Amino acid sequence: MSSSATAAVCSSEYCNAGWSEVLTHMSPYGWASFGVAFGLGLSIVGAAWGIWLTGSSLVGAAVKAPRIRSKNLISVIFCEATAIYGVIMAIILTNKIKEPEDATDYLAQGWDYPGYYYAGYGMFSAGLSVGLTNVASGVSVGIAGSSCAIADAQDASLFVKILIVEIFASALGIFGIIVGIIQSNACNFPIAALS
Amino acid sequence: MTEIVRGFDGCPSWAPAFGYMGASLCMILSSWGSAWGTWRAGLGVCHMGIDHPAGIIKNIVPIVMAGVLGIYGLIVSVIITQAVAPPGDEHNSYSVFNAYTHLAAGLCCGLSCLAAGGTIGVLGDAGVRAFGIKAENGRKWYWDAAGAMDTDGGDELGGGGGGGNKGSAEGANKLYVGMLIMLIFSEALALYGLIVALILSQHNYVCN
Repeated sequence: MSSSATAAVCSSEYCNAGWSEVLTHMSPYGWASFGVAFGLGLSIVGAAWGIWLTGSSLVGAAVKAPRIRSKNLISVIFCEATAIYGVIMAIILTNKIKEPEDATDYLAQGWDYPGYYYAGYGMFSAGLSVGLTNVASGVSVGIAGSSCAIADAQDASLFVKILIVEIFASALGIFGIIVGIIQSNACNFPIAALS
Repeated sequence: MTEIVRGFDGCPSWAPAFGYMGASLCMILSSWGSAWGTWRAGLGVCHMGIDHPAGIIKNIVPIVMAGVLGIYGLIVSVIITQAVAPPGDEHNSYSVFNAYTHLAAGLCCGLSCLAAGGTIGVLGDAGVRAFGIKAENGRKWYWDAAGAMDTDGGDELGGGGGGGNKGSAEGANKLYVGMLIMLIFSEALALYGLIVALILSQHNYVCN
């Protein structure tokens, strides 16, 4: 069903044109850049949250049981991995943000605007997916790691068993980047010059 | 003064925004639910493990069930992502109908998994701690060999247990079965969301 014009129903300068006004009045490059920002920034927030959660318990428990220090750094490394996922996604998305070959002040009449918008929305949602999933993963790994340190301080044989919990928690970050890569795969700005 | 001419474009260029939001929200919300279940139940397992280490492997079950919620979100998210069609050369084929449907599907699965994750977490936390207390007959690691606390005024659960107390392993296993049944009902909540999301994602309207 292509667009069909009917009689004008709103002729004031305060009318809005519906969702189109919200979603298409921002440049697709803006959407893509916000995707990069959220993807990286929120992943770092998640990693930081996890690291301070697990690190504070680790140093506290190590007061009475110094032997746990080196082994329980693996919890910190799990949290760092969620930050790395954010960096990977940000690099993938940044490499897709390209200038049109025929760059002028105004794009020509027959430009592939829907293609631009599709790519912009896709990159925004890929970044958001990765970022917010890594917040969840980071917090989860942090709390699991904190409990792991405390349990290890109590009884050294508990460490490996509690590590299973952390592995499940860090799997969430992997799911996030899988979804992010699949979403951003199809999203390429149509920058080729019009013939 | 701009004149807004209202027409109906079934496949506008802003439609993929909603489709992608559905896919993203599905993954995000279900991973929040999975994380909530994992850390909450994991806390319980860790605290139980201090008094009763033998029960840790058996009580990883709530954490595995919470992890499955992340997989549900991944499945639905990928299904929705594949269904968001890129614009063609002539016209767009991804309709607003599809966009709203995919947004609804994503929210269905995501919010259900969020709720199920919270349920599994809190249930798992309480259940495994109770399992540990029951299996050890209330004994704590800081009690001495006689089964009493160092300070006086130990409670009646110290030592061998008073009359009317079942064998601790048998009682703990009954408690474990009860916890498992409750966890299965909680997992069913996420399954409802997954089923409805899959049904919703079958609906299709293509502009031609």
